[in-house]
Amino acid sequence: MALTREDVAGIADYARIALTDAELDEMTAYMNDAVELLDPILEYDLDDVEPTFHPIGELVNVVRDDIVAPGLPLEEALANAGSRQGRYFRVPAILADGGAA
Amino acid sequence: MANLDTLSARQVAAGIAAGDFSATEVARAALDAISARDGQTQAFLQVSEELALSAAAATDAARAAGQALAPLAGVPVAFKDNMNLLGTRTTCASRMLEPYESAYTATCVQRMLDAGVTPLGKLNMDEFAFGSTTDSSAFHPTNNPWDVARVPGGSSGGSAAAVAAGEVTIALGSDTGGSIRQPASLCGVVGMKPTYGAVSRYGVVAFGSSLDQVGPMGRRVEDVALAMNALTAGGHDRFDSTSQNCDQDYLAHLDDSIEGRRVGVIPALLQAEGLTPEVRAAMRQAADGLAAAGAVIVEVDLPNMANSIAAYYVLAPCEAFSNLARFDGVRYGYQEPGCATLAEQSSLSRAHGFGAEAKRRQMLGAYLLSSGIYERYYLAAQKVRTLITADYQRAFGQVDVILMPASPTVAWEHGAISDPAALYLADVFTISNNIAGNCGISVPVCLGADSGLPIGAQLQGPAFADAQLLTFARALERSCGMEGSVAPAFAGKGGELR
Repeated sequence: MALTREDVAGIADYARIALTDAELDEMTAYMNDAVELLDPILEYDLDDVEPTFHPIGELVNVVRDDIVAPGLPLEEALANAGSRQGRYFRVPAILADGGAA
Repeated sequence: MANLDTLSARQVAAGIAAGDFSATEVARAALDAISARDGQTQAFLQVSEELALSAAAATDAARAAGQALAPLAGVPVAFKDNMNLLGTRTTCASRMLEPYESAYTATCVQRMLDAGVTPLGKLNMDEFAFGSTTDSSAFHPTNNPWDVARVPGGSSGGSAAAVAAGEVTIALGSDTGGSIRQPASLCGVVGMKPTYGAVSRYGVVAFGSSLDQVGPMGRRVEDVALAMNALTAGGHDRFDSTSQNCDQDYLAHLDDSIEGRRVGVIPALLQAEGLTPEVRAAMRQAADGLAAAGAVIVEVDLPNMANSIAAYYVLAPCEAFSNLARFDGVRYGYQEPGCATLAEQSSLSRAHGFGAEAKRRQMLGAYLLSSGIYERYYLAAQKVRTLITADYQRAFGQVDVILMPASPTVAWEHGAISDPAALYLADVFTISNNIAGNCGISVPVCLGADSGLPIGAQLQGPAFADAQLLTFARALERSCGMEGSVAPAFAGKGGELR
């Protein structure tokens, strides 16, 4: 069940990684090689095996007392942003038409 | 006067406490060694001269005021560049984070600072820790101090090279599938991946959150044990809900005898494809050394270990895709200019901010988490994880530690392996340890009979038996006599305490 170039283009769109045509060719070859490497997983009969999602088996939620403490100051939180407006991170239009109804 | 090359962490701290030399003299000697050596190794991404000199001045002032000094007072240390340290950039060796200024200090870094270390800067790595060569750094490769035409391993290649070349006494690395132990083996230093949860991950840029673990690298097992004391001091970190209380004195049983203790070996593993004869010979030497120290060598089996690569390359890319989704060019990281929509800005920022391997891993993760594929691969991999963990539990019912290589070969030349999927296979000896959350350590055993390059032996132990693992590592170090070696081409170049 090889992945086609179109399949990989769809994954790239979902993963929000714009790929050039040349990158798409390389990525398709890589994805098929890498997925083939995973084949041993499919050869197991795992019906009666429980999954392990975390190496510490008996993990329980850790909660702290609900005490207000200072967070990262606004200026420091915004310091690494590519663009900002006042107290906010600035982004381009979220909808393709600029949000016009 | 002494050279930093020949001093252990304990000796540096003791020398400062005794007034043989000041912390400022040590910091200047380390800066001098970095300036003389790093042009060849390219281990550093940033040298934090001001931070180093101000920390050293604080140590000297504390001594002058008659205060007791911290256990690692004045010891030169540097950090893999996925660890936040206020006053430095944290780039993960990626264009994505090239200008990123640390907004706070990671707990692991802070605990080293609390133990008195002098911070020398940030070390090169594979981009976002995806790799085993350090060649995928967006800025420059790092060279193996034993042969600068060769890779130092990875992803903590800068950490291993800086320690091997004597630029620092201790470095911190992180290990998701072998990224401390493999470069330690290739560079001839000691590198420890503690039990999952033993060291806080707060402030360390996440790769695979159920696999990542921070650990120390040094030229001596004792230096690594001292760093473990610092990293676990204070126990559970309230900023990392998975961190466990592993606060204990890792030096207390370091020199205990291993007489009658049991070391597992896996004969079938030594027939693994790609394992070179000199690595096989080094494993025999390590087993003989441990046996001579009184250990009983016992054959054990980890039947599902060979399939840990397949399980890992499902789990790790899925976790990485999820973790790296935060790099969307909005709150931090590279932002593509002139985009009309948020979707376009995210896609182009990620396309131009990430390097090739970071894109490959995220694409693989995105695919494996998609509907229908998730059940086929991801859920199955989590079940194989259960089988691998059970293998270890059976084996550790019979033995205290298991001996195996950390890498199937010695360091290879830059560019010698170009197929990314082929590189993944070299992780066979390290990744099952991360999958099970156990502890592991690579200790230099010898120089290869054919290559003349360092070979490490890996010891793996059960979860939360880190102190016991260090006892076996120390016994192995004593039997092999590689303790404290700086790569010969670098020894004595700068680093003199005047």
